[in-house]
Amino acid sequence: MAVKRQLSMVMDLNKCIGCHTCTSACKLQWTNRNGREYMYWNNVETMPGTGYPKNYADMGGGFDGDGALRLGTEPAPEDYGVPWEYNYEEALMTGTDPWLRPNVKPTWGANWDEDEGEGDYPNSYYFYLPRLCNHCENPACLAACSRNAIYKRQEDGIVLIDQERCRGYRYCVSACPYKKVYFNEEISKSEKCIFCYPRIEKGLPTACAKQCVGRIRWIGYRDDEAGPIHQLVEKYKVALPLHPEWGTKPNVFYVPPMSPPKIDGSGGATAESRVPMEYLESLFGNGVKAALDTLAAERVKKAGGGDSELMDTLIGYRHAEMFKLS
Amino acid sequence: MRHLSRLVAVTAVLSLTAPAFAEGLEIVDANVKLLEAGDTVAVSKIPDGIYLRSTNDPDDVIWERLPEYRVHVGPAPAVHESVDLRVDYDDEGQYVFLTFARTAERFYVRMRWRDETADTVTRSNRFRDAVAVQFSLGDDETSYVMGDGPDAPVNIWYWRSDKGDIQSLAAGGPGSTTTLDDQPVSGDAMYLDKRGNDANEWTVVMSREISTEGDYQVSFEQDIVPMAFALWQGANDERDGLKRVSDGWILVDLSGG
Repeated sequence: MAVKRQLSMVMDLNKCIGCHTCTSACKLQWTNRNGREYMYWNNVETMPGTGYPKNYADMGGGFDGDGALRLGTEPAPEDYGVPWEYNYEEALMTGTDPWLRPNVKPTWGANWDEDEGEGDYPNSYYFYLPRLCNHCENPACLAACSRNAIYKRQEDGIVLIDQERCRGYRYCVSACPYKKVYFNEEISKSEKCIFCYPRIEKGLPTACAKQCVGRIRWIGYRDDEAGPIHQLVEKYKVALPLHPEWGTKPNVFYVPPMSPPKIDGSGGATAESRVPMEYLESLFGNGVKAALDTLAAERVKKAGGGDSELMDTLIGYRHAEMFKLS
Repeated sequence: MRHLSRLVAVTAVLSLTAPAFAEGLEIVDANVKLLEAGDTVAVSKIPDGIYLRSTNDPDDVIWERLPEYRVHVGPAPAVHESVDLRVDYDDEGQYVFLTFARTAERFYVRMRWRDETADTVTRSNRFRDAVAVQFSLGDDETSYVMGDGPDAPVNIWYWRSDKGDIQSLAAGGPGSTTTLDDQPVSGDAMYLDKRGNDANEWTVVMSREISTEGDYQVSFEQDIVPMAFALWQGANDERDGLKRVSDGWILVDLSGG
């Protein structure tokens, strides 16, 4: 879907420390109330892992090779995790309950499998993957809505649900292969990440990007050749979309994680990457090897005292310069 | 007399007048006149001075004194890819049993249909039962699938089991359903769980004053009103165009009332 301009985000997974500050920022801003309590418009997953909602990557949606919508399933509440609260008042203030305890038995939630990863010591591995709506160029949610309630803004490509038109049919929830559209049971309508458009319109970055302590996020327009997005996605090709095979053409990109070598039986380093290349390619497509090679070469250049435009960008010396919103 | 088991179950008075208990629903069904597209059916007049126990009482004894009809509803033709992915055209559909009535002041439509499960919530991964009647705001040339664009619109009365109220909607083609500013339609519903003796069923009554104001509210001050019917089985994840609909318009004749 052609728009005049497209805002995009790049995240460097090599810099993500899994602190969930982005998630907290988003939740406090948008989803801690009014039927959204269970939603995480932004979340951070440990990979390899089940993701959020649980096993979402197996739930279908997106497009097939011919560009037709693929049938997807709507996650059950248990797949997201039923949110719980604590009896702070009774346990800590009035003392009427000796125990601080949740009001529902926690059995699953976003990030339940944090830091589990895969592999056996000394070759165990994991990395963090923050996820939000990809504000796709070809949004499956938009294609799936029978009421034209979902639209993509011409000025910045942000994908939004018109709350006046939505009647809660939830085709969008199942059609999004990333499962980043959520059903609000209180209002019987679907809701999703709005790329903090009220902030964007004031020249501010999204809450998740602004609060990121690891400075892993860049925001800018795809067509801004002097901006960070163009440099990372188009020029150096080190930032890749998640699951490009799902056909939605995401506008959130990831710099794939570099990895220490695998250790052999005698404790020596092998030539093999600790995080299997096939695994990374299953997530980010076949551009992973070239991206990692470029990163390695530029890093050597910078470490040797040379100039590297790419490394300077990825370091993000000044946080404000990571956002180019005009 | 129809749906005798329900009568036996809920109204002692009528059980006295009912003939022998019918064994199978199919036999009972066969006694109810089947309406097909283009058929004309006269609205029944409720005499002056006779009132339902409450405005839309679905279980009022009055309903047993009025003629009941049935219409077949089957899978609606898919008009969107999301529906096409899910629709089952092998579904044989079912019948909706209909009573059309009016007093001097109100128009009523009563519908009952078999539904093994009462799906009365709208939650993640769960869908509600619902029923709707649709009125052409023009003649019966308009598409019975939500009308034919803004110049040939329809008025829809939509009952949803989770809230119980009736929404008056307008549409001018698929995907254009719009909630109207004025909401003059009221209704009531009843679910009968026969506990294994017979099919469970919903009964819904909707009604509105004969005269009303507001755009896109159907007029009952005309002789013939084309009506169509739609049913959503929540247990089958039905919503939107995923529904069972009557095939074409039934012409309801208000003139005799």
